[in-house]
Amino acid sequence: MVKLIGFEYRKHFIKPSILIALLVFSLVSVGKIYGTYAENSLFSRGCNMQQSIQIKQLYWGFYNDYSGKITPDKIERLLDIYRPIEAKVADLTASTRTDDPDTFTGNVYTDYHFLRLCYVLPMQYDYLYQSYAGKVVLAAKENIRFYSSVSNRYESRKNALIAECFSGRKVGTFAFTEMYQYYLNYDFSSFLALLLCVYGLVGVFVSEKQTEMDALLLTTQYGGAKTVAAKLLSSALFVMGICTWFWLLDFLAFSAVFGSFAGFMAPLYAVKNFANTPLNLSLGQYALFSCTLKTAGMLALVAGILLVSSLFKNALFPFIISLSGAFGLIFWQGEFMNSGHLWAKLVNPFVLMVNRELFRKAEFANLFGLPVPNYFAAMLVAILWAGIFMGLLVVTIRKSEMTEKGGRLNAG
Amino acid sequence: MKITFKGITKQYKGKYALKEFSTELQEGVYGLLGTNGAGKTTLINIFVGIVKSDAGQVLIDGVDVKKLGVGFLARVGYLPQYPQFYKNFEVQEFLQYMCALKGVLQPNGNRRVSELLEAVHLGDARHKKIGALSGGMRQRVGIAQAMLNDPDILILDEPTAGLDPQERIRFRNLITKFSRGRTVLLATHIVSDIEFIANEVLLLKQGQLLMQAPPHKLIQSMENKVWSLTVPDEALDEKLGSLKISNILREQDGVHLRIIGDERPAQAVPVQANLEDVFLYHFGEGEQW
Repeated sequence: MVKLIGFEYRKHFIKPSILIALLVFSLVSVGKIYGTYAENSLFSRGCNMQQSIQIKQLYWGFYNDYSGKITPDKIERLLDIYRPIEAKVADLTASTRTDDPDTFTGNVYTDYHFLRLCYVLPMQYDYLYQSYAGKVVLAAKENIRFYSSVSNRYESRKNALIAECFSGRKVGTFAFTEMYQYYLNYDFSSFLALLLCVYGLVGVFVSEKQTEMDALLLTTQYGGAKTVAAKLLSSALFVMGICTWFWLLDFLAFSAVFGSFAGFMAPLYAVKNFANTPLNLSLGQYALFSCTLKTAGMLALVAGILLVSSLFKNALFPFIISLSGAFGLIFWQGEFMNSGHLWAKLVNPFVLMVNRELFRKAEFANLFGLPVPNYFAAMLVAILWAGIFMGLLVVTIRKSEMTEKGGRLNAG
Repeated sequence: MKITFKGITKQYKGKYALKEFSTELQEGVYGLLGTNGAGKTTLINIFVGIVKSDAGQVLIDGVDVKKLGVGFLARVGYLPQYPQFYKNFEVQEFLQYMCALKGVLQPNGNRRVSELLEAVHLGDARHKKIGALSGGMRQRVGIAQAMLNDPDILILDEPTAGLDPQERIRFRNLITKFSRGRTVLLATHIVSDIEFIANEVLLLKQGQLLMQAPPHKLIQSMENKVWSLTVPDEALDEKLGSLKISNILREQDGVHLRIIGDERPAQAVPVQANLEDVFLYHFGEGEQW
C-alpha cells in the first residue's frame, strides 16, 4: 500500500509545473507579507528604510526593559518617559525638527507616537483586559439568571459557557504581538494553497481516463479499491504538504519581516482583535491549531475536487468546475463573514481556511438545542461534506466486476 | 486450462454489442477478427471484468471467473486498445508501478522488469520518459507490462493499431515469443496480425460468432470463391461496380483483378485464397468497390 501511495504521489504531484507553481506562489506570498508589513506595521508605516531600522532598534531596546510580567514599577517607569513627551506635543507647538538630540528618534512627535502605539496603549490593553474579562463574566452570569428565569435553557447554557471561558482571564505579561496581529489576519496564502491544490488534484482521477489507464488498472489485483485508497491518501499527503509549507512560510516570513516571533507564549486574547475569542490558547498554540483547521478545511474541499475529477473524462471540466466552486465558496464566505447568518457561514468549508472569523468572538451554533462553539460546528460540517463527497466518489467510481464480487486472491 | 464463454450477451441502448457469444479456448493463440464495432472490445472488457455482461458466464476450468475474483486477475495479462500510460513516468518506473499493482513482489519484480525490457528490446530505453517513446515502443512497453505477472492468459486488444509495418512485424514476433504455454486472445481487424501466428481465428460479426477455425481451414472454406480475371483498362470501372474485388494489379497485358464471390465470373480462373479473402468474404458483404 505504501508503494502504491508513493507511485500515486509521483504520478500526480511530482511534476515540473506543480513545483514551478509552488515556487512562484511562495514568492508571491512572501511579497504580499512584506507588503502587509510595509503598509501597516508601526515599524515601517510612513518611514523610509533607515527610519524603519532605527524604530525597530529602538523598539527592541525598550522591549528588553518592558517585556515580561507587567508590574507597577514598569508602568511607572514607562509613564515617567511618556507623560513629559505627551505634555510637550499636547498643544502641537513643539518643535518639528528631526535631529533633536533630546529625543529618541530625533523628533518629539515621532517619539510620542512610538511610545503611545508601541508601548503605552498595548500595555494599557493588557493591563485592563482582566477587568474587561471580569465584566464579560459578570454580564454572562446575569444573562444566566435571566434566561433561567424565563426557562430558556439554550441561552442559559450558552452564557454558562461564555462565563466559564472568560473566567480568570488576564494578560499578565507584556509581549510583542504586532506581528501576530497581521499574521493571524493573513489569508492570502490560503487562497494560493487552494489554487495549487485545485491544479494538482483535478487530474487525480480524470487523468486515468485521459490516458485510458482506468481499464488497465481495473484488470490488476490492486488497481481497484486499493488504488482509489492510494489516490485519496496521496492526495491528502499532497494537501497536507502544501498547507504545511504555506503555513510555515507565512510564519517564517512574518517573523523575518517583523524581526521576531517573540510573544508566541502570550495568550491569544492579548491581540486586540481577539479580545473576545472563545479560545484560551497561547499565540503559538493558536497558530498551530489554526493551521490544523485550515488544513482540515482544505481536505474537505479537496474531497469535492476529487469527486469532480472522478466524474469526467477530460481534465478541463473538472478544472473549471473546481475553480468556479472555489471562487464561489470564497465569495460566499465574504458575503456571510460578518453576518448573523451563522449556519450560512458554517456550512462553507472555506470558513475553516480563513478561520480567524471563527475565533474572533465567542459565537455558538445551536446544535439540537446544545450551544456548540462555531468552530466545532464548522468542523463537523466539513467532516460531513468530506464524508458525502467520499461516499459519492465510492459509489460513482468505475469498479471491476472481479473485485466487486469479492473473489479471493490466488483462488483457483 | 480451458476458457469457456457461455452465452455472453451485452446490449448498449437496445442494440446488441454481443449476442449469446459462446466458445471454448485452450492453450494457443486465438485471433479475434472483426470489423470495428463487431464486439471485440466488449467481449474482452467482459472477460477482464471491466464491463458487466447482461447474460452469460465466463468459466476457467469450469469455475466462474467472478468467483475467482482478483485471483483470476492474477492470471491475466492485458494490453488495452490505445494505451498512453503515464507520460511523466520513465519506462522502468512504469513497469515497477505495474508490478506493485499486480502484486509482483520485490526483488522478483525488478528482475522481471529487466528481463522483459530486454525481451521487448527496450533495455536501452528504460530511463526514457514514456512521453518520449514512439507508438511502437509504447506498445512494446504495453506488452511488457501485460507479461509482468507471468500470466496464463494474455489479452491484446488491437495491439498493432497505428504501428508502421516494421513495428507491426516486430510486435507479431513478440506475441509469438510470449505465447508459449499460454492462451493468447488477440483482437484485431488487421488480418496480417494473426494470419501466421494464430492457431485459431474467431470471426466476430455484429456481436455474434460467425466461425471459429484454424486459418488453413478458413482458407479451405474459400475454395472456389476467389478468382482472378484480367480485363482491359477501359473495362475496370464496370467491373468495380459489379464485382467484389479484393486487389487490382496493372500489368502490360491488362488489369488483373482478384475477385471474391460464390459465382465464377465469366473468363475468371480460380486462385488460392488467403485469410484476407476470408475476411472480405464475410465482412465485406454487399459491398462493391
